[in-house]
This record gives sequence, structure tokens and C-alpha cells, in this order.
Amino acid sequence: MIDDKQFVDKHVGELLSGFVDGELTQQQRQLVMLHCDECSECREHLDKLRELRKRIQTASLSEAGEDKWRETMNDPMVELTRGIGWLLFIAGMLAVLGVILAVFIFDDGISVGMKLIMVAVYGGLATLLYSVLRQRLIERKTDKYKDVEI
Amino acid sequence: MKNNEMRQQLIQLGNGAHALALQMLGNTDDATDAVHDAFVKVLRKPGGYDAKAGPLTPWFLRIVRNQCIDLIRRRRPGDVAVEELSDPGPGPEASLQASQRDQGLRRALASLSAEQRQIIVLRDYMDLSYAEIADVLEIARGTVMSKLHRARMALREELGRHD
Repeated sequence: MIDDKQFVDKHVGELLSGFVDGELTQQQRQLVMLHCDECSECREHLDKLRELRKRIQTASLSEAGEDKWRETMNDPMVELTRGIGWLLFIAGMLAVLGVILAVFIFDDGISVGMKLIMVAVYGGLATLLYSVLRQRLIERKTDKYKDVEI
Repeated sequence: MKNNEMRQQLIQLGNGAHALALQMLGNTDDATDAVHDAFVKVLRKPGGYDAKAGPLTPWFLRIVRNQCIDLIRRRRPGDVAVEELSDPGPGPEASLQASQRDQGLRRALASLSAEQRQIIVLRDYMDLSYAEIADVLEIARGTVMSKLHRARMALREELGRHD
């Protein structure tokens, strides 16, 4: 049995792969063709390389199918639409809150003291809500088990 | 490139990308995750791809490969079993009919080094040119032919044992 080095010295070696793949220069192609005209070992080698390539081309190394990738690709779309939905919802809520706040501040029927108490109560609630939401968001981003189905 | 056009091309690349990821990760679920993460990454910033800089395929496969490398880094040692380097396929009946031959090939591929498996998938399964392979694997273009030839020789030898 001959080893790789001996084979390359005597034959055209890796050029056979380049020949099968159509990646050789004109000069290299001619060299391989001339060599193969004379060398039955390399001709056989060439046929086996073509056979191997064909076998891999027709093999099924991934059987997922395009539908699966189409589905998978919908995920970022869902994320995007969900993001837009939340953005619109928050913007709308902020506008409504702004209007309510303006009406409340400029209402002459309510005393300044009562206004301050109300601002403290609702301000406190809003701060607590923000704190909880922030914590939940941080947990969601860093939780490596979030996709695990139980 | 328009977003829809890019999505369509990425869908067509899905299977090849999955085959590449499978050869790197040895587990079909992890491979699916890697391809999915690559899709998310690309579609979040579709402007990141510059058509003038080269074709989409090697660019996308490089992202998939980087996702796989990230997954491998996060793994604990011993998580990958070489025997797992095959996709179980759709089911026992279809598998028996269509893939007895493929299983031999998968087992033979599993015996090669990670780089050899990748180079074979990129050339013979995905039909990438040598320049594109060099781009994906981030190796010198001049070394692709010799690495590929060695990988093919090794695969042929392994097939002789597994068939």
C-alpha cells in the first residue's frame, strides 16, 4: 500500500479533487487529463471521487424541510409585531394618562393639598409598577431556562 | 437586497445550514437552535448584509458557524457524543427505505474531524466554491483543495468500513 506522500509524488493527488470540482486552471486541467490518460489508478480514483460526491449530493444530511425554516423564520416576525403592539399600547396609555393628569392639575375644584396627596399615591404606585416590570424584564432576558417546556 | 427576497433565500439555505450545524454540534436540536438564532440575528439587522461584499450564502453560513461556536463554548465538556452526529429523520419506516445508505455516510462522516466534516458538507452537499468555503471557514483559499481532498480520502476510507 502506498502512503499519501508517495501517491502525490507519483500521481496528481489533490488536483483530482480540484478537477472534479472544476476549480483548476486550464494548465492544471490539462496536466490531470494527460496523467489520467496514462494512469489507470488515477482514473479509478477520479471515478471514485465523482461517485462519492454524487452520493453526498443526493444524501439527506438534514431532513428538516423548507416548511420548518419558514415556520422558524416567523418567530422574529412575531417578536417584531409584538414589539410594535406593545409600543403602540404604551404610547396610547401615556397619552391618556397625560390628559387625565392635565385635567386633574388644572381642576380648580380640588385643593392643592389633595392634589399633592393624590400625586404621591399614584406616583408611588407607578414607581412600584415600574420597579416590578423592570425586574421581570431583566429576569426574562437572563433566564436561560425560559424556553424549557414543563 | 429586499427583505422578502432575503427571507426566501434564507429559507432555501435552511437545510444546508442545518446540515453544517449538525456536523459541528452533533445534535439536531442544537443545530436547529443555531440556525434559528442565525435567522433572528440576520433579520433583526437585514442591512448588515452588503451584497457588494459577496454572495449571501457564505455570509449567512459564517453567521451560523459562529452561532455553533458560541454554543460549543457554552457547553460542558463531554456534551457531544460522536454517535449523535446524524439527524434521526422523519420516522422509522421512511428512514429504513431511504436512509440506510445515508446512515452509513453519516456514521462515516462522524468519524472525521470537525473541520473535515464541515468542508465536505460545504462543498459536496451545499455546492459552495473553494473561495466561498475559504470565506465560511475563514481559512486561506489556497488550502481548501488539499484539505478537501484529505477529507474525501478519509471519508472514502471510513465508508469502506461502514458500508
